[in-house]
Amino acid sequence: MQNHKFTISNRNPVKKIGITALVPPELIFSCGVAPFDVNNVIPASKKYPGNKLCAWTAIWKDMLVKKEINVDSLVVVAGGDCHNALVDGQKAAMSGIPTHFFFYPFDGDTSYMESQLHRLSRFLGGIKSPEKFKEIGELKKQGQLLDKKRCNGKLSSSDAFSILISFSDLAGDPAGFSRAISALEEKDIDIRNRVALIGVPPIFHDFHETAQSLDLQIVFDELPYEFIRHGGGDVQEIARDYCDYTFARPLEFRIDFLKKELKRRRVDGVIHYTQFACHHMLEDEVLREKLDYPLLTIQGDLPGNTPQQVKLRLEAFREMLDRI
Amino acid sequence: MIGLDVGSTAAKMVWIENGDVKFRITSTHNWKELVEGIDGDDIISTGYFRKSVPHRASLTELTAAIYGVRHYFPDAQVIVDIGGQDTKVIDVRNNNFVINDKCSAGTGAFLEFVANYFRIELNELGSMHAIAKRVPDINNTCGVFALSEMISQLVAGYSKEEVIAGMHYAFARRISHMIPQTQKVVLIGGTVKNKGMVAALRDVMNIDVLIPDEPQIINALGALNYYP
Repeated sequence: MQNHKFTISNRNPVKKIGITALVPPELIFSCGVAPFDVNNVIPASKKYPGNKLCAWTAIWKDMLVKKEINVDSLVVVAGGDCHNALVDGQKAAMSGIPTHFFFYPFDGDTSYMESQLHRLSRFLGGIKSPEKFKEIGELKKQGQLLDKKRCNGKLSSSDAFSILISFSDLAGDPAGFSRAISALEEKDIDIRNRVALIGVPPIFHDFHETAQSLDLQIVFDELPYEFIRHGGGDVQEIARDYCDYTFARPLEFRIDFLKKELKRRRVDGVIHYTQFACHHMLEDEVLREKLDYPLLTIQGDLPGNTPQQVKLRLEAFREMLDRI
Repeated sequence: MIGLDVGSTAAKMVWIENGDVKFRITSTHNWKELVEGIDGDDIISTGYFRKSVPHRASLTELTAAIYGVRHYFPDAQVIVDIGGQDTKVIDVRNNNFVINDKCSAGTGAFLEFVANYFRIELNELGSMHAIAKRVPDINNTCGVFALSEMISQLVAGYSKEEVIAGMHYAFARRISHMIPQTQKVVLIGGTVKNKGMVAALRDVMNIDVLIPDEPQIINALGALNYYP
């Protein structure tokens, strides 16, 4: 799910493959095609779908059906992450877009994962450029460095987020994306409140700036971190690694991972973003119980600016962190 | 120094004089009357309009509520602030809070809506509740549909007073779902002047319900206390 603040010109006439959630970009690029995360355009889209549960899936479905997003084919992550995508993905498929449904294993079974990756590879026409695995791996190392800089106050959380969130598709152009990373300017940021943002990314395009303006510095973005921490040199390796994609695994697996990450980043508090009508909302009470940090739950529905009601909650949360 | 709480429906000003809490209240749109002749540097603001009024410092009404309630109830565990446009529940024990601002049911706006329907003043709801002999069930959690249900109960033969009592119970149940396990709650906000609603909440929750003498000024007092 992306919110680009940079433009990369991509003149390569490679086929554009829509993806609805994390699909190993290493594999997509190695098949000689380019991923396009259809969530890219949503936060700034000003689209208000009529018939919806989750606005994320409803908007990309509408835009795909109406050809407002043009892709050559679509990979829907239908198992192990977003439940609404299974239905909205089928609706997009019914409009005539060649569509493949990708399923992560809930139990982390690597052979199942490998079979899913082989099926995906066949759908995409087979691996043509195996060197892409390494190339994307190198880029992800840059992403990890950038994440570290943000954590150490050398990058603003909004700058870091705009790049990290785009690691799902590397803007369809790894070389251009690499230049965009290099162009980021280092800063000296006085971090007063170290905050982790967990859950799906907010649908508000200015969320990180808003949090920053209220003295809440986001030092961990849960989902974008998944975009930079997985990889491997071939299908077998990425099958093993992507099996640990926390959103697809049992909640306890994800919580164990979160505990380590929150400790490592010395966070003061946690913001749990929930999307209206998303099944992840149901996880809130468990996260509250299991994560031993002050935790603010916020909910978003439609794209746009961060609403005043959410700003009030953020400000009150900051005041609370100041008190303790 | 004064505490100024400019909320969605009322503006409240608090100051301390010879150790006593003094206050003035007006409608939101007349807030300027309250601060006439007062330097902005002497104002600590809170409420929806906290950043739109002159102020030396501002704080959210959630934090202000904690500091204001402490003035009267130092060991408060849970605070329920029923405002004109939203209801906030603050769990002081673990620094947690929830806000209902997506639905009018369970806010002062809903009670106003009901009072308008019956063509009565808002402050008459409590006295009418007191003379109800029966309490009809009103189950709807949506303010608009709750009104349809109230009309059905009137058609079924319940008196206006009884239907108002039923509405207070529906309101109380809605609020109670937001309140965590606790021995006692402190209620604040203009809406808790409605004795019928408070009686219903006491009955539904079956816990100690504490209310300061002037529940509407607590956030303004909290703003003042936050910056000693």
